[in-house]
Amino acid sequence: MNAIEVSNLTFSYDGQVDVIKDISFSIEKGNYVTIVGHNGSGKSTVAKLLIGLLEAKNGKVVIMGQELNEKNVYDIRSNVGIVFQNPDNQFIGSTVADDIAFGLENHCIPQEDMQTIIEDVASRVNMQDFLNSEPTRLSGGQKQRVAIAGILAMEPDIIIFDESTSMLDPQGKASINRQIQKLHDEKNITILSITHDMEEVAQSEHVIVLNKGRIAMEGSPKDIFKEEKKLKEMKLELPFALEFSKKCKEEGLIKEEVCTLEEVVEQLCQLKSIS
Amino acid sequence: MSIEIHQLEHTYNAGTSFAHAALKGIDLTIPEGKVTAIIGQTGSGKSTLVQHLNGLLIPTAGSLEVCGFHIQPLLKIKDVKKLRKEVGLVFQFPEYQLFEETIEKDIAFGPKNFGVSEQEANALVKKILPLVGLDESFLVRSPFELSGGQKRRVAIAGILILDPKVLVLDEPAAGLDPQGAKEMMSLFMRLNREEGKTVLLVSHDMEHVMKYCDHVIVLDHGKVLHESDVATFFEHPEWMVNIGINPPGIIRLKLELRKKGFTIPDEILDADSLLECIKGQVKNHE
Repeated sequence: MNAIEVSNLTFSYDGQVDVIKDISFSIEKGNYVTIVGHNGSGKSTVAKLLIGLLEAKNGKVVIMGQELNEKNVYDIRSNVGIVFQNPDNQFIGSTVADDIAFGLENHCIPQEDMQTIIEDVASRVNMQDFLNSEPTRLSGGQKQRVAIAGILAMEPDIIIFDESTSMLDPQGKASINRQIQKLHDEKNITILSITHDMEEVAQSEHVIVLNKGRIAMEGSPKDIFKEEKKLKEMKLELPFALEFSKKCKEEGLIKEEVCTLEEVVEQLCQLKSIS
Repeated sequence: MSIEIHQLEHTYNAGTSFAHAALKGIDLTIPEGKVTAIIGQTGSGKSTLVQHLNGLLIPTAGSLEVCGFHIQPLLKIKDVKKLRKEVGLVFQFPEYQLFEETIEKDIAFGPKNFGVSEQEANALVKKILPLVGLDESFLVRSPFELSGGQKRRVAIAGILILDPKVLVLDEPAAGLDPQGAKEMMSLFMRLNREEGKTVLLVSHDMEHVMKYCDHVIVLDHGKVLHESDVATFFEHPEWMVNIGINPPGIIRLKLELRKKGFTIPDEILDADSLLECIKGQVKNHE
């Protein structure tokens, strides 16, 4: 089953220039998909169209078999969580627990169930010790983890990460990337992550490359990274590990190009022990 | 004129039960005309330190010499107002500070604030735009209809127009696509080389530090943990990991390979020499 199906989607902010031009793609349930593209390529616009924050000029969005329309937009939103870029712009509650409770209150979850749910989702993002903390005392990475907890409380089928790590320091970034990987591994949640981080792209299953409002390429990270020239033309770069493994291949050191540092090290070690 | 910092201390909310010592006994010389990186974990005192450089914060003890200004405890804001023209501070995500109706007005705000006439200010705007890679067609546009990268250029133009001698940039490339980040960094490198500006860069991106900076200062818990030229800094990477710095790809690869028994000398810092080094070792076993 497809969690997300987008067909012939077109969108314009001013009614004249189309920023999303007739794009179609589908994402299978439980998949971990990344969307990449240069600044202004339309990535965040796509995310907003998927949850009905923006209305398409043409085309349709189908979420878990339901076509998005004016009537079901609120139902669909409770099934699609979104974590935005700026950790400071999405805190509502005065404590971590209040913030997680916000979505539950909106959905009229009984008070007695709430406490259990809050404790459960907080511990899934490793924030159980901060339930009574004020948001201002948290780091950016911790704030984003609370945002994820608030979303998990709604038990959505799909979570969209809209450059959720780009304002974080390396540790915050790593903690969110681990969290995304964990959600993908343990729960059958479909993940759509919009990112510039090529190392995150390498850890996903499927990549959609947007360029000037169109899908320029689509495929596994390995397939996408093969198109080095195209990527550079679209202002994107290869992960360091892949660049290095290309060099190793040219020198005849390894047979296959790989995307992660671990794989590079593994390949080189094999070579060392064989020879 | 270099920047001299002597025994600088800054304690927030001093004298209350919320007192927090963010900087403790900082002694530094920041070389003139160079690009210096200031790195350290979130909360290590980087932002507190750079806000002293243009007098946004006044030390609670110790002193600084910046562009002929002597900054010491209990100074008043009016004593340091002129310093703000000499030291341009670009905050993180400066595009959030844009506020005017047009790009021209937004960039001209700074000089007008320092008493320059509107006409002169607008002429300055025209001169500064190409420096940040924008053309005159942008003048009448609203800053809010631009892309993130373009907005950031406008915000930076608003600082450059004051022609500061020192440029302090807090994570100037965060959130931009790789190409945008590269263009932004080239802009600062050009300002450093061609206009002789002293550049201070607060960054978490070690690839940028390695590629663009001359000098490195590492802060940890409000103290200077390390200070050296860039090459020396990256030659001893093991301890970086311990204080939560994510080393550049090449360094991480080097460390992993060392763990697996490869011998890789400290001075190897680029992909080609690393490859040469490994090649030798693999062939030796044949």
